[in-house]
Amino acid sequence: MEYHALHDAPFVFPNDAYPAWSIMIVLYPYITGMVAGAFVVSTMYHVFHREALRPVARLAVVTSLCLGACATLPLLLHLHQPQRALNVVATPSPSSAMAGFGFIYSFYMLVLLVDVWLLFRPAIVERAHSAPGPWKNVYRVLALGVLEITPRAAEIDRKLVHALSVIGIPAACILHGYVGFLFGAIKANPWWSTALMPVIFLTSAVVSGIAVLTLLYLLLCRSSRMEPDEECVRSLSRLLWMFLVLAVTFEFGDLLHVAYEREEEWHVIRELLVTKLRFSYLTLQVLIGALLPLLILPIPAFTRVASAAFRHSCTGVAAVLVLVQVAAMRWNVVVGGQLFSKSFRGFVDYPVTWFGREGLLAAAVVLAMPMLLLWGAMKLLPVWPPSPQSESGAKT
Amino acid sequence: MTSFNDTRHLWALGAFLAAVGLVGMVVRRELVPDDFGRQGPYRASALADVAARPSLFQADATCHACHASVEHERAGKPHEAVRCAHCHGHAVEHVAMARKAAEDSSIAVPPAAEWDGDFLTKIDLYVTKDRATCLSCHQAVVGMPADFKKIDVAVHLEEQGASEPLAKDTCFECHGGHDTAP
Amino acid sequence: MSFFDLPIVTSGPAVSGACASGGCATGGCASGGCSTARPDLKSETSRRDFLKTATTLTLGAMSLTLLPGAMAGDDAVPPASKPSGFPSHAKKPMYGFLIDTTKCTGAGKCLTACRVENGVPEGQARTWVERYVHFKDGRVEVDLVPEIGYAASGEPQPAAEDVLRAYFVPKLCNQCVDAPCNQVCPVHASIKSPEGIELVDTDRCIGCGYCVQACPYGIRYMNHETNVADKCNWCYHRVMRNEQPACVEACPTGARVFGRIDDPDSEISKRLATLPTSVLKQHLGTLPLTRYVGLTDEVT
Repeated sequence: MEYHALHDAPFVFPNDAYPAWSIMIVLYPYITGMVAGAFVVSTMYHVFHREALRPVARLAVVTSLCLGACATLPLLLHLHQPQRALNVVATPSPSSAMAGFGFIYSFYMLVLLVDVWLLFRPAIVERAHSAPGPWKNVYRVLALGVLEITPRAAEIDRKLVHALSVIGIPAACILHGYVGFLFGAIKANPWWSTALMPVIFLTSAVVSGIAVLTLLYLLLCRSSRMEPDEECVRSLSRLLWMFLVLAVTFEFGDLLHVAYEREEEWHVIRELLVTKLRFSYLTLQVLIGALLPLLILPIPAFTRVASAAFRHSCTGVAAVLVLVQVAAMRWNVVVGGQLFSKSFRGFVDYPVTWFGREGLLAAAVVLAMPMLLLWGAMKLLPVWPPSPQSESGAKT
Repeated sequence: MTSFNDTRHLWALGAFLAAVGLVGMVVRRELVPDDFGRQGPYRASALADVAARPSLFQADATCHACHASVEHERAGKPHEAVRCAHCHGHAVEHVAMARKAAEDSSIAVPPAAEWDGDFLTKIDLYVTKDRATCLSCHQAVVGMPADFKKIDVAVHLEEQGASEPLAKDTCFECHGGHDTAP
Repeated sequence: MSFFDLPIVTSGPAVSGACASGGCATGGCASGGCSTARPDLKSETSRRDFLKTATTLTLGAMSLTLLPGAMAGDDAVPPASKPSGFPSHAKKPMYGFLIDTTKCTGAGKCLTACRVENGVPEGQARTWVERYVHFKDGRVEVDLVPEIGYAASGEPQPAAEDVLRAYFVPKLCNQCVDAPCNQVCPVHASIKSPEGIELVDTDRCIGCGYCVQACPYGIRYMNHETNVADKCNWCYHRVMRNEQPACVEACPTGARVFGRIDDPDSEISKRLATLPTSVLKQHLGTLPLTRYVGLTDEVT
């Protein structure tokens, strides 16, 4: 039976004509996902001791911190009453999936901040002594006034960093799984309402975090005329491939289930996929964003064909494609979920605007902000790992 | 053996975080309304705030308080259930003025003719003998209940031996106003 | 306690059971009872005590007015001193809304009344009226009743000879007993009033739009003049003055009925007692207080 109400004249509830959530709500899970994903990469080194990832371990936590510092930006731009934003922590509702954000986010940022501080304390203290002029004072403040590191203190810090990384793993999972729950818990919306939403968001978050870190590493190496560490890139490629397989499995497994069971409002979702989301879902999220990198990544991950430079390029291209995939996925969830009316009898358009608080330009600024912060952080802190000699020196 | 020197930075960090936390708690205190949670999980005075909105849509009783004869005219007639506002507008300003006039004799409520306006444009008050007023309810539209009195203007005029164009108040040539007879 | 809202979940089936069995007046009461029986966040009522209370209310199928006044407690009395954990809201009146689709003529009088009464911005709506037209060829088309009525709007109308049947369905807030919009509000700006009416605290709303997403009925909207969430509140301000909601006051045909469902002599109780009613999107378990006569499967 092909016949359905959707094929009659469309009918949209009056208040559904304008989607309530904008491109800023697309960016929010996009950025938060990278925060969680980049941190997971750092724990691969700090907790699971994957030595190959040593070159990016510090970059990973700093990237995570810089992204995290900007995670609330799109939310503030979206809120219609941003000056009341702190009401979320003043009078949080325990029944709201959204009210937890303030607490989960604060806790995660606290862990991350302390982690970064302990990790970089030797460098901060060293620079507090050696940096020129006024910069000395900046580092003194950053060191919270404690300008010496005893061997025992270094030992304690190493253990604390390990402990914080361990705590950070569930914290990162909660942070992003929770973002998924925010959508998955809306029973009014059949495109969102699925128990798998937290898992889908989490796996794609890890994917985006690995991808952004890989891309940053390759670009930073190129800009500083440094040869990327071959084993590191290989390891990142493998991680990316593995988590992409997981993410794709969950994303399309869930859709397949809804489609095959003709669940809830499947006819609406099907119509959505082949009309409004044809490009952003089928082309970007499935073909270009998922299938292509799944085919490209095995080259740098599992083979040694051609030159290292070629394989690094493969990884770089795949990382870009994966970032497009995750962005498309966020778009398809957030905007896609608002393109049909709750009457299930008609579709609406999402008006993309250039200007204004929730326009494309503002979105570009939001995306550029963490990169700007990262640039500043790299000026302030040495994100590349210390040479083996100096590290073994510190240990003794 | 761990000495104070080995953990001094952690104490500094602890003090820093405690200070941030303290500021946070003070700010939070400021942000919670005094009457929050007094009655339930919300700002208790919000109920009174919502309830304080003025009632703008006038019940017929408000109109009948001054226009008592109309109440009598309409009693028991088919249009008794039709609200004054449907034919005469929402009268928000008119009622406000009438209430003022009741207290202050120097204020005069303008005679009805001066209020006259166009039905459908949501003017505050109008004296209407406009067929659009009648048709806004009685023009036959797909979906009306079977037992509702509806007319198709063209058919109705043909039955009556009349034809367009007709005056605005043409309905009232045969049908009454307040004491509507079918 | 509020996270799982156990009492509501527990008493839900009892409510729909009572309604399905035809005792709609008592069913309405029972569902209203659920809302008033929602335990005060502060009260220390144990689950077991509460279940007992809920069962008594539901099984007894009695009007809450029968309860001894002393049991009702007072808002100001600290919860600990309440005799048996009866929620403080028990004494509040319980309201219901009945839409009789067989009486609606689609004149749209309620629409202007609501806009005037509540200052609803153009392009948004607290209430609207849908028209469902079943054609003889099997198509079902839905459209919105224009605010000035079909006659004045000049919209082309379907030819009567092609139409199998057609009817109007007014929509407004369902005042769900287990309201998803209330559940998701992060800052307690969504308020379930003691009377069971869902309100917005416009002074605390942060304008996140989560409630707009959560309402399955499309009732909530981000008011683009005030920039806070807005919704139909059954004209709470009028109800508190013992007036009828503006749309009810404006309805010339009695398609909208509002009143106390804890008073057997009220118009709404009498109608509920004689007519079979149902609610919108019942499968979502929101337990609406707005009930409909003559709903079809096509109505979403």
